[in-house]
Amino acid sequence: MTYALVAGVLFGLYFSLVGIGLNLVFGVMRIVNLAHGDILMLGAFIALGVVGIAGIDPLFAVPLAFVVFVLAGVLLYWVLVPRLQGSANPEMLSIILFFGLSQVIEAVTTIFAGTSERSIQSRLLGTVFTTIKVKWFGGKAGGAGPIQIFGQGFPAPWVIAAITSLIAIALVYLYLYHTRLGTLTRAVMSRRDEALATGIDVDRVSAAAFGIGLGIAAVAGVFAPFMFGSVTPAFGADATVTSFAIVVLGSLGNPLGTALGGVVYGLCYMLVQTYLSSWADLLPYVLLIVILLLRPSGLLGRRVRVA
Amino acid sequence: MSPEKTSILDVSKLVKRFGGFHALDGLSFHVVPGEILGLVGPNGSGKTTAINVISGLYAPDGGEVVFDGASAGGVASHKLVHRGINRTFQVPKPFLSLTVRENIQVALAYGGATGAPSIAELLEEYRLKEVADRPAADLNSAQQKMLDLTRALATRPRLLLLDELAAGLNPAELDWIAGRIKALAATGMAIIVVEHLMGFIEQITDRVIVLNAGKEIFEGTLATAVREPQVIEVFLGGEHAH
Amino acid sequence: MHNASKHLLFILAPLVVVFALLPGVYQNHLLLFNFVIFLILAQGVNIIYGFTGYLPFGYVGFFGAGAYGFAIMVMHLHTPAPFAVLVGGGVAILLGLLLTPLLRLSGAYFAIANLAASLAVLHFVANPALEGITKGPYGVSLTGTFNPTHAYYAAVVVMALTVGAVVYLKNSPFGLALQAVREDAVSASMAGVNIIKMRVIAWLASALVAGLAGGIYAWYVSVFYPDNVFSGEFSIFAIVFALFGGVATITGPIVGVLILYGIYNLIGFTTPQYFQLIYGLLIMGLVLFLPAGLVSLATRRGWHVP
Repeated sequence: MTYALVAGVLFGLYFSLVGIGLNLVFGVMRIVNLAHGDILMLGAFIALGVVGIAGIDPLFAVPLAFVVFVLAGVLLYWVLVPRLQGSANPEMLSIILFFGLSQVIEAVTTIFAGTSERSIQSRLLGTVFTTIKVKWFGGKAGGAGPIQIFGQGFPAPWVIAAITSLIAIALVYLYLYHTRLGTLTRAVMSRRDEALATGIDVDRVSAAAFGIGLGIAAVAGVFAPFMFGSVTPAFGADATVTSFAIVVLGSLGNPLGTALGGVVYGLCYMLVQTYLSSWADLLPYVLLIVILLLRPSGLLGRRVRVA
Repeated sequence: MSPEKTSILDVSKLVKRFGGFHALDGLSFHVVPGEILGLVGPNGSGKTTAINVISGLYAPDGGEVVFDGASAGGVASHKLVHRGINRTFQVPKPFLSLTVRENIQVALAYGGATGAPSIAELLEEYRLKEVADRPAADLNSAQQKMLDLTRALATRPRLLLLDELAAGLNPAELDWIAGRIKALAATGMAIIVVEHLMGFIEQITDRVIVLNAGKEIFEGTLATAVREPQVIEVFLGGEHAH
Repeated sequence: MHNASKHLLFILAPLVVVFALLPGVYQNHLLLFNFVIFLILAQGVNIIYGFTGYLPFGYVGFFGAGAYGFAIMVMHLHTPAPFAVLVGGGVAILLGLLLTPLLRLSGAYFAIANLAASLAVLHFVANPALEGITKGPYGVSLTGTFNPTHAYYAAVVVMALTVGAVVYLKNSPFGLALQAVREDAVSASMAGVNIIKMRVIAWLASALVAGLAGGIYAWYVSVFYPDNVFSGEFSIFAIVFALFGGVATITGPIVGVLILYGIYNLIGFTTPQYFQLIYGLLIMGLVLFLPAGLVSLATRRGWHVP
């Protein structure tokens, strides 16, 4: 039980990281990024590349993935979104547009990387820390072993991913509540029309949010090979649905609610995995539908989503 | 004249809350067939909420709505339409991708009215003939208001609720639509008008009810209303004080 | 002549005749069968998305439910195939009824919830715990009813019914009222339209045709796995075909299927990832440059497209 709960929280924090970028994009632009899972998948391939080519700790892929995808996101925003917003039904068409994008990403990745499952030895993650420890304090080199929490051992990558997630969520919070651009972002989220009317450069704010959303998704992707065992180019589609379940749990359009949604999801995931494993696959879907119907605005939200 | 016998709509002690806010707080009034009643009051006094409750968009939290002798509070809109209530919207939302003609066809087919006016009559009378086969999205806002009105009239209502129909019309159009509304009342239709334009209200209503904070504070003609200190205080006073 | 009769005579009748005669002159019957299946599914999407605005991202759920309804009738009750197809349609309607609460959601929420529902049904059917009923993930084999010729003609019949239903929607006050609900539910209710009833009818009708198509698909292929009949590609293809041609028309989805599924088969199965790339780009280009479908090229010029 303790194991399932702690593992649930660790996974839950990671799931928050998985979902938060999707939510940021939806909250600001009312755009459904169905390619979200594919960005995660690409983040995982950056980690694979960092290990395979440079042979260094995959943690170095975190800043790399973030920077690359913030830039890619801003670029993509300017290519796709203004044209979409001009159409009759942007929310509906965005679903289809980004589905197309996800197909393109999956296809291109398959062309270059093939369809085989890829994984990274989990002991490689965090070697930068042990190297520093060995240099400064002596002791034996090698990968980090299991980390003890409440007397139980947990794989080090789970803990590292959870800590990175906490840091990322804190940074998103700082961005939204303590920077000028973040304040404008919240203004656009709550009242897009009025924000336009008051002269806020909605496109600039949205492009930034889109870039950050994609950047965070890629960072989450870096940890995917450790959290899910392996990745393939087809990993994106499942990751998108899971992300939606998390985001809806926490309430769409409220990025910080996603942190709560992630933890609740992680706990459910681990508990079902432990006690009802043959039905575990059903969990994200059933949870998503039940939450949508019973608590349409998510666990934290107040926004009404019925016609 | 005794309201119990002849009125087509009786609203008594109507309450509607949004969270802790009482949009309607014990509102009572009645309308008789052929009458044009004005609902006036400052913004947020509950005029549109009253129309929304009577037309079935909101269920009341208390009190009663009796239409034509039967309870109408909390009944689904489309059923009230079939029973003879209809309305226009402050911001009309016609079926944009359908043509003007098709917009009216929907109401004719589903309004459940017998002896409703024909499409040709409605198009002609409300100046939509020229645009009959254009998508509603192509209409200007005054035309959209007229389309909204024809949508309501196609269901042949006995009680018609007009929410800010005159706003945005030019003086010539105002005179014309005032004449049309009076002609509808002359056929026996009861009409409730929510409006900010006092001149327009004065021109067409037989009687007004002044609302403040979801309650009636005056009932009578507009000419008397404007001499009532309480009315001047909450309504006209608010605007003339500055 | 009345518009509806014109549409039946000049669109539906030629379509049925062509697909009824083609197997005699063209050898790739599986390809023809798939064309007919996608015509049904694209028109099914048209009914629910084109006329009511709900984007059914998990449309395949009904298709798979129909296929498994068919399989269970044949495996456990040994019923004749045509009856099992009808049961497949019935199962899809039941699933549709179960999912009617989703109609309370709007826009993206509905699309995502519907996607989740279809995946939930997939994982339910494929669960090893239900092996006794559905054969779980191990798939079903229905060699006893295998008869691709009959299945093909059954598919043509269902296609005719589906296109006929769309002709009805395009020419009836009912279809207009559905579109009115799509455009603005409040105004529609003030036109006297019972919006809940309308939405449920359209939803169940589109569920039914997908369920019948799924049952016939099971009859035709006779051996399949849950992943085959619940493949998200059915939903996506049907949606993209319908959109490409133009929804809320009779001809749009037909043109969409004939052109896009034609291209699909030309660029072929040999290099799926290149195909996926071209397809993805096509979808993006479609949304960005032709959001109202091919028929909008004609309607923009003022031509009427049925």
